[in-house]
Amino acid sequence: MIQQGEHVDVQSFGAPASGSDNHLGPTDLIVSTKELCLGFGQKTVIADIDLSFRRGSITALIGPSGSGKTTFLRTLNRMNDNVKGFRRTGDVLFNSESIWSPKIDLLALRRRVGMLFQRANPFPMSIEQNVIAGVKAHNIAKKSQLNQIAKMRLEEVGLWKAVETRLHDSPFRLSGGQQQLLCLARALAIGPDVLLLDEPTSALDPTSIEAVENLILSLSPAITFIVVTHNLAQARRISHDTAFFFEGQLTEYGSTKQIFEDPSRPETQRYVSGRMG
Amino acid sequence: MLLRRFFSIKAVSRVAAFLPPAALVFATAILFAEALPAIKYNGLGFLTHTQWRPGNFYVNPVTTDGVTHPVGALYGALPLILGTLESSVLALLIAVPVSIGAALIIVEKLPDRLSQTVGLFLEILAGIPSVIFGLWGTLTVGPILARDVFPLISQMAPNIAFFRFFKGNTGHGEGLLTSGIVLAIMVIPIIASTSRDLLRQIPPITKEGGTALGFTDWETNRWISLPWIRTGLIGASVLGLARALGETMAVAMTSGAVLGANPSNAFLPMTTIAATIVSQLDSALTDATGLATRTLAEAALLLTLIALATNVAARVLVRRVSSTALPVGRGI
Repeated sequence: MIQQGEHVDVQSFGAPASGSDNHLGPTDLIVSTKELCLGFGQKTVIADIDLSFRRGSITALIGPSGSGKTTFLRTLNRMNDNVKGFRRTGDVLFNSESIWSPKIDLLALRRRVGMLFQRANPFPMSIEQNVIAGVKAHNIAKKSQLNQIAKMRLEEVGLWKAVETRLHDSPFRLSGGQQQLLCLARALAIGPDVLLLDEPTSALDPTSIEAVENLILSLSPAITFIVVTHNLAQARRISHDTAFFFEGQLTEYGSTKQIFEDPSRPETQRYVSGRMG
Repeated sequence: MLLRRFFSIKAVSRVAAFLPPAALVFATAILFAEALPAIKYNGLGFLTHTQWRPGNFYVNPVTTDGVTHPVGALYGALPLILGTLESSVLALLIAVPVSIGAALIIVEKLPDRLSQTVGLFLEILAGIPSVIFGLWGTLTVGPILARDVFPLISQMAPNIAFFRFFKGNTGHGEGLLTSGIVLAIMVIPIIASTSRDLLRQIPPITKEGGTALGFTDWETNRWISLPWIRTGLIGASVLGLARALGETMAVAMTSGAVLGANPSNAFLPMTTIAATIVSQLDSALTDATGLATRTLAEAALLLTLIALATNVAARVLVRRVSSTALPVGRGI
């Protein structure tokens, strides 16, 4: 656990040790948190998190249930702001600006920092309308281009062939995996810089998981991914960096290779080796 | 043993299950039998005539086509039918948007405590006897509307198709619009509390999907919440419509209950089928030939048919809308 006076330098924290399997370039930070403490009512969920995410990287947030990963993730695009009793100290910087700064337009922030949920959550409208819902809300394309955008995004997530003939049908008849891909297409359609994924494959079958993972890999480094996952194998497969949360603290952060092969903390060691969690 | 078998839960529930349809068939059949002579005498003219004349009770009755009737009896229910439909539609036009707005605010905006209190009052409002609404409507609401509100509406209404109906003589407060407004107030608790329950069933993750995409609250409501409960909303509206169509006391007291009235605008007195039945029953009983009561039975039969037709139409509509297979609010 990170004790007081033992604060780790964020900058050096963000740069994985040389010799890792990381192919990314210089350490340009897109999202960083500063002494972030979050809680609901009396309960403190996470305390004093300083964590930075490199532009274009894929970062896995791992840790046992209740360690505060999801609360942390949902704070990054201010999804917790309306939750009853939510309180926070510290700050989150997006492109070096506080996301709570009065200059920040909340809706525009959410356009830049998108989110994919644990379960697929299509909207009650046709498949095509689902893809372009965000585009219409943000008014970022002409009406005549909407069909084209829908097609492009569905092709991008590999769903076009499957839904080509039923664009105007309900999305609820698609399989769970297809629905999740549809939600991904919807999130991609508004051109986010960062995508927050909250256990995006926990409800999916292995084939769909592979499809989603391949997609994440192909979209990086154009998009920065922050992924909460309980699937350690998945964290190893897709992420460059890994942060280990334990009992509301950021216990360890480093390159994925280092966290899994040479963890420096005993809790991390026990968790990644499967003796805990 | 036999007795036990006869009263077994299975047998009892089987009988119980058939009671509602049996009651409907029975009531309709009795009504039909009762109304048959009137149907014969009044003929199709019942649906097209606008006069309601019981005839002369003080001279000897005559017999036409085997039906004995007072001299000069002529019944036409067209104003009643129109009045019923107009007041109910008017009530829905007011009640549906107000109810949906109220439900959205209760679920999405109000703090828990207040939301519960408002919800409680909504349910209390639904339980108030209609005669109270009627009295309040005719003594208080009607006169206030006629004095302060109707002239304003009459002045503002544009002189085009539908709105022309809201221009002209603003009357004395007993009439179509007063009835529509009082009916709307009676129907709002039904639609609003159903909508509120439906809105609470929407999975939070679905609405959060909208929030995460940068939707405003309005966009989330308009594109996610309301479509999600669409079929349930239709069901709730039909419940409200059924209540408005059959509402008797409140309308009888606020509509003016003028027989044969064919109001030229929304402010003037009118009547409905239910209001006519209740207000005419007393004098109908003095018709020694029985034609007057049988005619009221015919009117009641007509109301039953209108209510049934509305229900069937709503079900067809729901089936068509729910073909997009939404997870909640299917069927009614």
